[in-house]
Amino acid sequence: MSSESLILFFIVGAVFVGAVLIFSSLVPPKSKNPQKSEAYECGIPTTGITWLQFNIGYYLFAILFLVFDVETVFVFPWAVVMKELGMIAFVEIIIFFVILGLGLLYAWKKHALIWE
Amino acid sequence: MTETDFLCLTPFLILALAPIVIMLVISIFRNYEIVFGFSLLSLILAFAALFFIAPAIPHSIQPLFIIDMYSLFFLGIIFISAFIVALLSYNYIKRLEGVREEYYIILFTSTLGAALLAVANHFVLFFLGIETLSISLYILIAFQRTKDNSIEAGIKYLILASVSTAFLLFGMGLIYTAFGSMMFSEIATAISLQGPLTSLAITGFGMMLVGIGFKLALVPFHAWTPDVYQGAPAPVSAYIATVSKGAVMAVLIRFFFNIKGFDDHYLFIIISAIAILSMFIGNILAIRQQNIKRLLAYSSIANMGYLIIILLTGTNKGIQASLFYLISYFITTISAFGVITLLSNAKNEAEMISDYKGLFWKRPFVAIVFTLALLSLAGIPITAGFIGKFYVIFEGMKAGLMLLVFAMIISSVIGLYYYLRVITTMFSPAGETTLPQITFMGKFTLAAITISILILGIYPGWLIDIITRFVGL
Repeated sequence: MSSESLILFFIVGAVFVGAVLIFSSLVPPKSKNPQKSEAYECGIPTTGITWLQFNIGYYLFAILFLVFDVETVFVFPWAVVMKELGMIAFVEIIIFFVILGLGLLYAWKKHALIWE
Repeated sequence: MTETDFLCLTPFLILALAPIVIMLVISIFRNYEIVFGFSLLSLILAFAALFFIAPAIPHSIQPLFIIDMYSLFFLGIIFISAFIVALLSYNYIKRLEGVREEYYIILFTSTLGAALLAVANHFVLFFLGIETLSISLYILIAFQRTKDNSIEAGIKYLILASVSTAFLLFGMGLIYTAFGSMMFSEIATAISLQGPLTSLAITGFGMMLVGIGFKLALVPFHAWTPDVYQGAPAPVSAYIATVSKGAVMAVLIRFFFNIKGFDDHYLFIIISAIAILSMFIGNILAIRQQNIKRLLAYSSIANMGYLIIILLTGTNKGIQASLFYLISYFITTISAFGVITLLSNAKNEAEMISDYKGLFWKRPFVAIVFTLALLSLAGIPITAGFIGKFYVIFEGMKAGLMLLVFAMIISSVIGLYYYLRVITTMFSPAGETTLPQITFMGKFTLAAITISILILGIYPGWLIDIITRFVGL
């Protein structure tokens, strides 16, 4: 590919994106009211500020959930092809479980599972 | 997987297994000494495994790994440096509050990333290694998470490294588009078939250079270096300056020599410009620094500038010079940061130059070690740094890179000024600062490193012989 086509690529890209943006701002019907700019447009006025502090425990639990999340992502594809792959795949997934389990054990020992 | 494959992967398996075992130990019985001892043992085992691999090489595990003498050499210096950094960290990490043992887990994962870079023969492994390395470094840099400086450095490195990785990936993508392969050797074949590089390929290499330049802290991708070096714990700064940069250099040299990048006109100009800018900007910005860690950061920028001259020589001798230079730079940098590590106490790091006022009259041993390290960085004869620089200049001259060599000589002279400034501070009359006691282990490590700096400076022949054995003529 020569440099001309690269430059052309950039120009076409910029023009195309710009045209779409301009077009989409011209065409649709417009209605302006203060509710429209709120985060949740469900009709109920929001109360209080959004920058409030919440319990760090939620965050910790979300992180711990990651252990099981990753597990699920890998176990489902494994389960589908498990019969064809046979013993090797079985051993490999056991190793995977052990390592993930160690992560959970580590969190448990650090008292991350206690809700304070 | 054949038996040879497994044999060749032993060091990596050891490095991968060690953090898991440490995590188990921490979960069951948290003990700093056990974790520390086990870390040292694993690094020794990983290093010893290299000797068992030696008969089986060169061996490549298609398509990702290539394990030859060159990668064995880099694996060796990566493991030794990680070992010394772990040794120096002992006291520094021990007196931290909160989590301490976890430091060694992360040290292992980052060393694993660095080791993967040394054997990479494919963009996938290259990327995997560089990410394993940098994600671990985010944590190591922000390890003292109660300190503002540390967190700032960690966040800075996180954001900038992510951006640079995006560039690296895009560059890899463009190169794949241009040549239809991600293996170094296949890209090289494709280039030799297609002739001069197309603009698409040059864009790809340029973008990869952004990512690599960031990791090596080359100008103009250097802005993170002083802040990160300052905020990170001193042993971690040593680790970034040596292992991280050395591993990236390993993959850069392999890739660049594979694709014969020095033959391309544009790449030649780009790398020359980066080299000259790095030398001058690194050395000039270092002059006014009051903080030792920042000063060493700028000095490392300049040093990397000297080192990439080698890429343009395009000879095997050039690679040998770069390996020698890397080793001398490794031991010198570890020695300098080792002194900072040992002089830091629980409250504050010994990072201001004024903290070193009159060091010679209070702690003559440490002052002499530090003086030798700085002289070696400046490239004064009878130190390893001199031979390293001489070797690089010699190979540069032979390859006809006069401009680069002159730039290197002139900027070295600028560099001399700020190294000597630190040395004069150490020998001036004593100040009021109180210094912590230095452990026997720390003293022993520093003495060993300093002696090796001197030995390499006085009698470098044996190391050159070893390097020749590893890289060939």
